[in-house]
Amino acid sequence: VLVLVRSPLPRLLTVLQRCWGRLERSLWPGVFGGQSPPWGPALAVQGPALVPQGINDVGESSAKAPSLLESVVWMAAPKHRRTIEVNRCRRRNPRKLIEVKRNIEVCPECGNLKQKHVLCGYCYAKVKEETRLIRMEIHKKEGGPLNAPAIETVVLYEGEKPTEKDGGKRIIERARKRPSWFVQN
Amino acid sequence: SGAAWARGLLSWARPERWLASGSLFPLSCIHTSTSLQKIGKWEKKNRIVYPPQLPGEPRRPAEIYHCRREIKYSKDKMWYLAKLIKGMSIDQALAQLEFSDKKGAKVIKEVLLEAQEMAVRKHNVEFKSNLHIAESQTGRGRYVKRLRCHGKGMFGIMNISRCHYFVKLVEGPPPPPEPPRSGFEQAKEYVQQLRNRTLVHTL
Repeated sequence: VLVLVRSPLPRLLTVLQRCWGRLERSLWPGVFGGQSPPWGPALAVQGPALVPQGINDVGESSAKAPSLLESVVWMAAPKHRRTIEVNRCRRRNPRKLIEVKRNIEVCPECGNLKQKHVLCGYCYAKVKEETRLIRMEIHKKEGGPLNAPAIETVVLYEGEKPTEKDGGKRIIERARKRPSWFVQN
Repeated sequence: SGAAWARGLLSWARPERWLASGSLFPLSCIHTSTSLQKIGKWEKKNRIVYPPQLPGEPRRPAEIYHCRREIKYSKDKMWYLAKLIKGMSIDQALAQLEFSDKKGAKVIKEVLLEAQEMAVRKHNVEFKSNLHIAESQTGRGRYVKRLRCHGKGMFGIMNISRCHYFVKLVEGPPPPPEPPRSGFEQAKEYVQQLRNRTLVHTL
């Protein structure tokens, strides 16, 4: 609910009022300030129609020109308060309720829950942690940015020797037992 | 005689006599709780103790009441999650909440795990999976009003809303969902209502 509250600063208020006044005077010259409007007489006459032109002018001069503040009348606004029953019907409609997910299953590796089309969160976190440690080893070996060699990398764990296939590759040592999920080629 | 008077005075003011009775002000024993906050009605529901059951009675299932107060979330948004898990088993509820994207899902999951742990430790529940959610409700917490700035020096008043979440776990499998009422059933009930009409204030 928007409740417009005037700012507590009086100076801002007076500045605003002056701005409004200047705006209205520039847009409708003659309505404010006591000067007669260019299109009608100063005196409003109530009586039989003497001059049709005069009545039109009288009507125009007696009618107050709508200021910008009153033009809000034509904006769309709710006419009646929506009752709590109507509100509840809208908020509790089955369209708006949360659907029960049917694509949750158990990860065969770790036993945590996972969604069918998404990797298991626990297993992914495990792999991410190991990758981070491998990257730290690589960083230590390289010593700085832009030092990556143009050859392949092989990760070896405790008690593993490089085979003939890993001849020309860069070897990264990790000081732990090989995890079961990281299969050696 | 002055010494005797002083001794008499000291004998009246004997501190060990006061300490032996328990405390200086005996009424201070009543309010032993340190917190000034009121204990809510939902928390007190865990304190009821039923009399022991007779041998012939069916076993009364264990009921565990748990809640969390002043969660920084809207009560209307939290209500959708509470409605989701009403009537589910606790495992299914935890699965649904784990993969929900809402902020309140994380909070409700913590509350359910706490309640499950409480059930196993204190309320003599044998299997932690053998619980289902009988009631899950949200309540309005304390709102704080703040100013929200608009253009041209105008201000709106906004509410920082908080909510409470209440859950009641009952031991046992979840009850089967009631079948949806068919049109035929509704028509039968309507006809029965018409038949039950009678004349009032007559002979």
